Amino acid sequence: MTDSPHPDAGPLSVPAGRRPAIAGLGMTELGKVYGPTSAQFAATAVRRAVADAGLALADVDGLLTSSGVTGGVSVDLQRELGLTDLRLLTHMQAYGSTAGSMVQYASMAVQSGMASVVACVFADSPLRPERRSSAIYGTRHAGAGWWGLLGASGVIGANPMYALAARRHMLRYGTTSEQLGHIAVAQRAWAALNPAAQLREPITLADHQESRWIAEPFHLLDCCLVSNGGIAVIVTTAERAAQLAQPPVHVLGWAQAHPGHHLRRDPDFGLTSGAAQAGPAALAMARLGIGDVDVAQLYDCYTFTVLLTLEDYGFCAKGEGGPFAASGVLGPAGKLLLNTGGGQLSGYYMWGMTPLSEAVIQARGQGGGRQAETHDVILVSGNGGVLDHHSTLVLGSAGAAS
Amino acid sequence: MTVGPVDRDDATAEFFDGTAAGRLLLRRCEQGHYSEPAAAQCTTCASLRLEWAAAAGGASLVSWTITRQPDGAATVLVIAELDEGPWLWSQLVGADPAALAAGLRLAVSFARADAEHETVPVFELAR
Repeated sequence: MTDSPHPDAGPLSVPAGRRPAIAGLGMTELGKVYGPTSAQFAATAVRRAVADAGLALADVDGLLTSSGVTGGVSVDLQRELGLTDLRLLTHMQAYGSTAGSMVQYASMAVQSGMASVVACVFADSPLRPERRSSAIYGTRHAGAGWWGLLGASGVIGANPMYALAARRHMLRYGTTSEQLGHIAVAQRAWAALNPAAQLREPITLADHQESRWIAEPFHLLDCCLVSNGGIAVIVTTAERAAQLAQPPVHVLGWAQAHPGHHLRRDPDFGLTSGAAQAGPAALAMARLGIGDVDVAQLYDCYTFTVLLTLEDYGFCAKGEGGPFAASGVLGPAGKLLLNTGGGQLSGYYMWGMTPLSEAVIQARGQGGGRQAETHDVILVSGNGGVLDHHSTLVLGSAGAAS
Repeated sequence: MTVGPVDRDDATAEFFDGTAAGRLLLRRCEQGHYSEPAAAQCTTCASLRLEWAAAAGGASLVSWTITRQPDGAATVLVIAELDEGPWLWSQLVGADPAALAAGLRLAVSFARADAEHETVPVFELAR
């Protein structure tokens, strides 16, 4: 085993001006937006992020790309954007943890001087006017070999895989569907305050319980939606960010964890994820504790993913995520400001870019009717595979970076 | 229909020869560690010297989920822990979903979509 990332390896160990900051955010129209390809969404998102920062495309000297279930985004984006002087270019894929990881690699690049303005982008276009989302994410595996065997057995797509994880948590700790429902209800209430959210009609716990089964113990309202679109962020140095158009969002700490048990015997399956390792490591790098977090943006492919991450990050004790979620702590009236844009359950499904984009908006104080009063420290998670990949970012507004 | 159609490829040919003969084959290294059928190296010691070894057929229930076909028919999907150690993601047939519990004893069984496709390991409640 290797040591955890040492706090002194983080951004606080370098001169203040060299520390990484997010200076731009670009979002395309999100949701049932038909026509553009994933590559076109990606290009639009980068152009908007650059403009948002007050930069020009020619200032970009680093580009990290990522794509969703339909692919279609690659390093070819460089050509699409006419970027001719890149010092950093890579396509990345660790599923839902990728967006956070892109910011981490971009942060290390600007901190070292390898690049000075790095665009990180995700885009996907799974929705078509004529097909249901289940036709995209529930596609049977190719009918041969080991994946064919899994599909033939009926284990198809993410829904049953995460449902098996959630059931195990229920069996071990007594977690209930109603407790998961509190997460869905709270996030819908936040989405009602977010003009960019796809689902803004308030729901009740009864609505959650009465929504149709997808894969027991998951109801429909335990599951994220599906969106077309693209989101990009610009990472640069704090010194440069201070001269740009937006309030800098400082990257204070980061970590990843990839336990690597996918489809294998795993005593921790459904009980603990990589968040338990990455969360404390990222906070240690930022020299902060969980009690310092003002706002949390946690990856929510399912309600259960949020519950597990709350436990693993230490917002509550292991096994107590259910009672914690049901305690009234969530939602716009609660004291834990969590997934304030509605997340992927009700806002928009842009994988790790969903929590990251809302974190940037909140850190800047641009959340409008859903803006957190105190937003100095924001914790952001990314989760990929079936709880296989995790990234954590600790972001801070100007107040947290000094 | 209990299971869907699946074809063999080079990697799964011996495995499906096993299921056709009513045997669930696992991978076993020279130290006796068992790995799941798809493993290319031992999940315990990273050995690349693996041979096929038949599972005894006993397992216990780790977790389950219930999905429904468009016609409303319920399918119980499970993670089963084989007595040899490896976990399998598969299907439980012939069981009342309301009567399931962690640790419930299971037995390997076999099913196939039709005569044109390979036989698939599934689980049933141990008798």
